[in-house]
Amino acid sequence: MTERERQAVVDFLHREARLADEARYAEWLALWTDDAVYWVPATTDPAADPEKHLSHIYDNRGRLETRVKMLQSGFRYSQEPASLMRRLISNIEIARTPAGELIAESNFILGELAVQAAHEMHWWVGRTTHRLRVVDGELRMCAKKVVLVNAAEPLPNLTFLI
Amino acid sequence: MRYDELIQDDRIHASLYTDPAIFADEIERIFHRGWVFVGHASEIPNAGDFVTRPVGGQPAIMVRRADGTIAVMLNRCRHRGTMVCAVDRGTTRTFACPYHGWTYDLDGALIGVPYPGGYDASFDRSTRGLVHAPRVDEYRGFVFASLGADGVTLAEHLGKATRLIDRSCDLSPEGEIALTAGWVKHRCAANWKMLPENDSDGYHLGFVHRALFKTVRSQYQTVVGEERTIKAVVRDWGGGHIEIDWSPGYQGNFEWFGGVPDALVAGYLEKMERRHGSARTRQLVFEGPAHALIFPNLFLGETNVAIVQPVDVDTCVHWHTPIFWKGASEFNGRLLRQSEAGMGPASFLMPEDLAVAARNHAGLRARHVEWLELGRGLNRETMDAEGRMVSHVTDETINRALWKHYRAVMTAA
Repeated sequence: MTERERQAVVDFLHREARLADEARYAEWLALWTDDAVYWVPATTDPAADPEKHLSHIYDNRGRLETRVKMLQSGFRYSQEPASLMRRLISNIEIARTPAGELIAESNFILGELAVQAAHEMHWWVGRTTHRLRVVDGELRMCAKKVVLVNAAEPLPNLTFLI
Repeated sequence: MRYDELIQDDRIHASLYTDPAIFADEIERIFHRGWVFVGHASEIPNAGDFVTRPVGGQPAIMVRRADGTIAVMLNRCRHRGTMVCAVDRGTTRTFACPYHGWTYDLDGALIGVPYPGGYDASFDRSTRGLVHAPRVDEYRGFVFASLGADGVTLAEHLGKATRLIDRSCDLSPEGEIALTAGWVKHRCAANWKMLPENDSDGYHLGFVHRALFKTVRSQYQTVVGEERTIKAVVRDWGGGHIEIDWSPGYQGNFEWFGGVPDALVAGYLEKMERRHGSARTRQLVFEGPAHALIFPNLFLGETNVAIVQPVDVDTCVHWHTPIFWKGASEFNGRLLRQSEAGMGPASFLMPEDLAVAARNHAGLRARHVEWLELGRGLNRETMDAEGRMVSHVTDETINRALWKHYRAVMTAA
């Protein structure tokens, strides 16, 4: 992998994080391919199987669009008003698959001020695996898996874009 | 506490949601003396399988014993009080305390005390086993426990509401459900009673869930139209067990499942008819699984089973897992995705419920207004032939039923 390719992946991760933090839903959705898989398991067990086990999120493109439309409707009260968020991404490791896609693994810490009722500060920590592909000269996400360190614990609302 | 003053026929007092002394009283009277749902037998199919879970706020273990029966024991070493088990689930032959090595078998009997020279002959191991819930019973695999030695039996507690559990289990061609997909836990900054009340509230749908209804079609669409065109009803089964029945508004089979392609159901219907006959099968697939609260903490959430866990007066946790019907594994993938759409912190329904519950709880701090209304539908509810009160789905008939039972439990001798 060239340094330029590596930098393109890092830039993509940073941009995706900023669009999610700033609730720029349409721009975030445009980062996805049509065969999107957006997965947030409900366990940290690496053997978790979304066909056998309940997940927090296991969206295909259609469900991802529903998720975004609800956020855009103005009536998604769990994100109305939208949480104030900033996330840091670090420990980035990138590999290329035999099919030419790029796998980027990274850690994140996300501070969320949930302003819908009690103005609680929530701290989210986890590891993300992005699978990226070049489409029409631009990097796009075809899969994003987010394993929260507290995936199996009682979680508050997680209706922002994690 | 004067519960008969705080709970009136058409209004309830805000302190019922916010007073820590009332919360402590509820834990004792409802969650310790009464029957509470703990888990399902299918979660622990083999001897030595266990899950750990709070029962009325106390750490507990539900375990399959060597003889195949199920025990519910407090997760607390008899020596110094340490939790003997620190994982959510697993399989074991013994529970060994990490502190000083006291070891218990699957019955909770104390079978190992290191360095026994420190105790004389009067030390009786038989009185130092893990403490069992004195009463454990099950209905169709739903395991309930009571930490009180006396009181009504589980059969008496459930009463006619066993039919609601039947309605959910009988959709299996083998008559059994399996809760094996794992639980998702959703934390809510509100008093625990707001969850059973909201789970049974047919009035809020078109408002709290407006984002979903504006975005996609769902099976709930038929209950958010004009008031007089809504056919769904609420029903009081007695004992605090309450139901929303959407089925009078359904147009066809499997509407509760968002409709089902023929390819998925041909073999299923054949197996169902072999077990239940064609009339009962038609009724089951038309009505769908129950939407009902089994007092106080089990919510039959249609294709999900949910648990209401009180944490403190201001906090609760909603657990859920999809129902898998034995003999109908072709539905499992759809059940998983439907479960993720409906319940849990990232789903399309419950986050709005819990966000509004948190706003509800915050609003109750306005203590210069002391009362909450509870009178909706008093003008039109009716008693059916079986003595169950029934009313329009948006009516507070079942909230009143819940509070009436609550008052009886909280004022019992």
